[in-house]
Amino acid sequence: MAEYAIEMRGMVKIYPGGTVALKGVDFAVREGEIHGLLGENGAGKTTLMEILYGTRSPTEGEIFVRGRRVEIRSPRDAMALGIGMVHQHFTLIPVFTALENVVLGDEPVRSAGLLDVQAARARVEELMDQTGLHVPLDEPVENLSTGERQRIEILKMLYRNADILILDEPTAVLTPLETKELFAFLKRMRGEGKTIVFITHKLREVKAITDRVTVLRKGEVVGTVDTAEVSMEELARMMVGREVLFELEKKPREPEEPKLIVEDLWVRGEGGDYAVKGVSFEVRGGEIFGIAGVEGNGQTELVEAITGLRLPDRGRVLLAGEDVTGARPHHLYARGLGHIPEDRHRRGIILEFTVAENSILGLQRLPPFMNKWGVLQESVVRDWARKVVERFEIDTPGIDAPASALSGGNQQKLIVGREIMKDPKVVVAAQPTRGLDVAATEYIRRTLLRMRDEGRAVLLVSADLDEVLMLSDRVGVMYEGELMGVVRPEEVTLEEIGMMMGGVRLEDIKSGGAKAEAESTGG
Amino acid sequence: MQVAELLRFLLYPTFYAGMLRMMVPITLGAVGEIISERSGVVNIGLEGIMMLGALVSTYVGHFTGSMVLAVVSGLVVGLAAGFLHAGIAVNLAGDQIIDGVGLNLFAVGIGEVLLYLTWGSFATSPQLPPEVRVPSIHGFSPFVVLTLLVAAATWVVVEKTRWGLRLKAVGEDPVAAEAAGIDVFKVRTIATVVGSLLTASAGVFLSLDWLGAYTKNISAGRGFIALALVVFSRWNPLTALLGGLIFGFLFQLSQSIPSGVVPDQILWALPYLVTLLISAGFLAKARPPGAVGRPYKRV
Repeated sequence: MAEYAIEMRGMVKIYPGGTVALKGVDFAVREGEIHGLLGENGAGKTTLMEILYGTRSPTEGEIFVRGRRVEIRSPRDAMALGIGMVHQHFTLIPVFTALENVVLGDEPVRSAGLLDVQAARARVEELMDQTGLHVPLDEPVENLSTGERQRIEILKMLYRNADILILDEPTAVLTPLETKELFAFLKRMRGEGKTIVFITHKLREVKAITDRVTVLRKGEVVGTVDTAEVSMEELARMMVGREVLFELEKKPREPEEPKLIVEDLWVRGEGGDYAVKGVSFEVRGGEIFGIAGVEGNGQTELVEAITGLRLPDRGRVLLAGEDVTGARPHHLYARGLGHIPEDRHRRGIILEFTVAENSILGLQRLPPFMNKWGVLQESVVRDWARKVVERFEIDTPGIDAPASALSGGNQQKLIVGREIMKDPKVVVAAQPTRGLDVAATEYIRRTLLRMRDEGRAVLLVSADLDEVLMLSDRVGVMYEGELMGVVRPEEVTLEEIGMMMGGVRLEDIKSGGAKAEAESTGG
Repeated sequence: MQVAELLRFLLYPTFYAGMLRMMVPITLGAVGEIISERSGVVNIGLEGIMMLGALVSTYVGHFTGSMVLAVVSGLVVGLAAGFLHAGIAVNLAGDQIIDGVGLNLFAVGIGEVLLYLTWGSFATSPQLPPEVRVPSIHGFSPFVVLTLLVAAATWVVVEKTRWGLRLKAVGEDPVAAEAAGIDVFKVRTIATVVGSLLTASAGVFLSLDWLGAYTKNISAGRGFIALALVVFSRWNPLTALLGGLIFGFLFQLSQSIPSGVVPDQILWALPYLVTLLISAGFLAKARPPGAVGRPYKRV
């Protein structure tokens, strides 16, 4: 019996663009352990595991599974070796039912290739009973919650008898309660002899669930340690290569009059159903108002309605005292709105455009950038772009480089810089640090705090709970299109926030746990 | 009274036999394209593939005098066109529209050039001898039977078999399909080639069964109508068959109403006008396969 379930030696991955994702990584997982793979975004965790699962091919390196040298060229090869993976972005077919998704690729058939639906259902139901992971089998996956989708992904692995399970950032989409359930499930799986690789960048989770942990930084292994023998601080240092600032300096500040008021807003989502159901709040000058919640609970639609990208059905939005409900974006920008959009590639910048062109997006029709004949004033644009680059410390080959040449962090700085240079009264920042490295994240967060200190009203929507609690003066928690409550971060416990994220109203929490519990299980 | 007189043709079985035959090329093309698009590959070269199938089968039939060789050669052209499109659109991850446009233009050009070089006419080849033409069985074209069977069989394969599930998976989300252990390239190549083969058989029908010759513009936009029918049918082969019958009816109607009543041009334009309405009315609401038209590349 080999000591290691998996051993990867000297893994190198160079992407076609020349990016070196892995610089000779050695990685070994013992049979029957939960092994954490810790690192920042871009450290190479996902790339390493995708090589093991066969969705990416390594430039160099050898893989051993249970001591035997193997070639893994596709997920088929990996599955044959008993390796399964739950990707961070789920790989489910949205229009297929849960049942179809689970059996896809290994479908039971009768003669002539006809699907044996009864046999498929029987096998999957048995699996659900064994594992305790239940999902509605006949519902198209697109109608299911992210938690349910993750369960389907796990069932998919187990259906193929995988005994080496790879999970890539599995808790990113879960409520605290769902996370707890997942951890219990993983421990049960370990008890049954499965080997688990758990990819994460969250230190708390490493401590909570793993036996050993390998830390990656910029494509290299910093070390592999027994989890019990390291502190969170030590892990953090290994991960980022320096001390992490867990606290940002936030000066106390008296908020001013409300600059953004949202009244009883109702907004429909893509499917036509209400995604935002009667949300009201106000953001005052000199205040950061945070919106927390598991993604997909209406935050996106709320932001789109406030920033003029989606028409609300009912309710009002007031910007600096003026009713701007349903106004178009350029109208809003002219009245003092700055918007850091959630999907920066779709709505924040144009990747093919130069840094200079991107630096004036939204300003291009205004003087002095355009003269009265409608001609862009190039020298003015270039001076402006240089100012943005300099003031926001954007690392770029030059202002004529395409935005696609910048790293994600610098692209985001470009967007943030542009929006701030507009001198907005109200800033709406949606997922402003998603996918950024620690340095860029810290920069963006500092900038948001600076805007608050300058007296602007900041609406911060983020799926990163730590971020919302760290930056905000007040926090609203959204669940299925409604605000469960508005709290001050210093006056709330993580458990209370977690309950609100899971659909319990603040007043029910305050009026006693028993009632809240009854409602949450009853509803 | 007069209207009833004009529509007397609706009482005769010949009208309906004609309608069934008119259904054939559009339905075969549409079902072929449904298979292809369900895998995520758009082939807008249907028109060109129909023409090439008709052209080559006419040629081979004319010079060999063998119906079997004529039919087979027309189908081989379909296979070749399918592999070409699969090579470009699937394996090289090229633009799926551009090479289809190229195929359509090529087919028009090569047809006219060959017609002129061989028979000195820009318009039409000589009529094929009767032994080369596909015979009717009890007054029914075998192509009508084939079309009905193909549509039904395709539905069964797509909805009820393992292969159909994988076909749809690849067309909806190739990344997810790959992660489930499916060979995306293989499935897409097979689907594209089968689709092209069915479309070429529509061309064979046009020359060897329907007209008995190759004429300039023999397909007369039926490849494009088939594309519209794919949308109308919401990628369901049985609905495509129904739509094919409607178009068969319209084509036959436009030929059956005696001239002089309605301006001929309007009559002839009828099927095309309906195509336009369908495209405008259904395109917005239809939900195509998730990854249709998007090449798949591995990193």
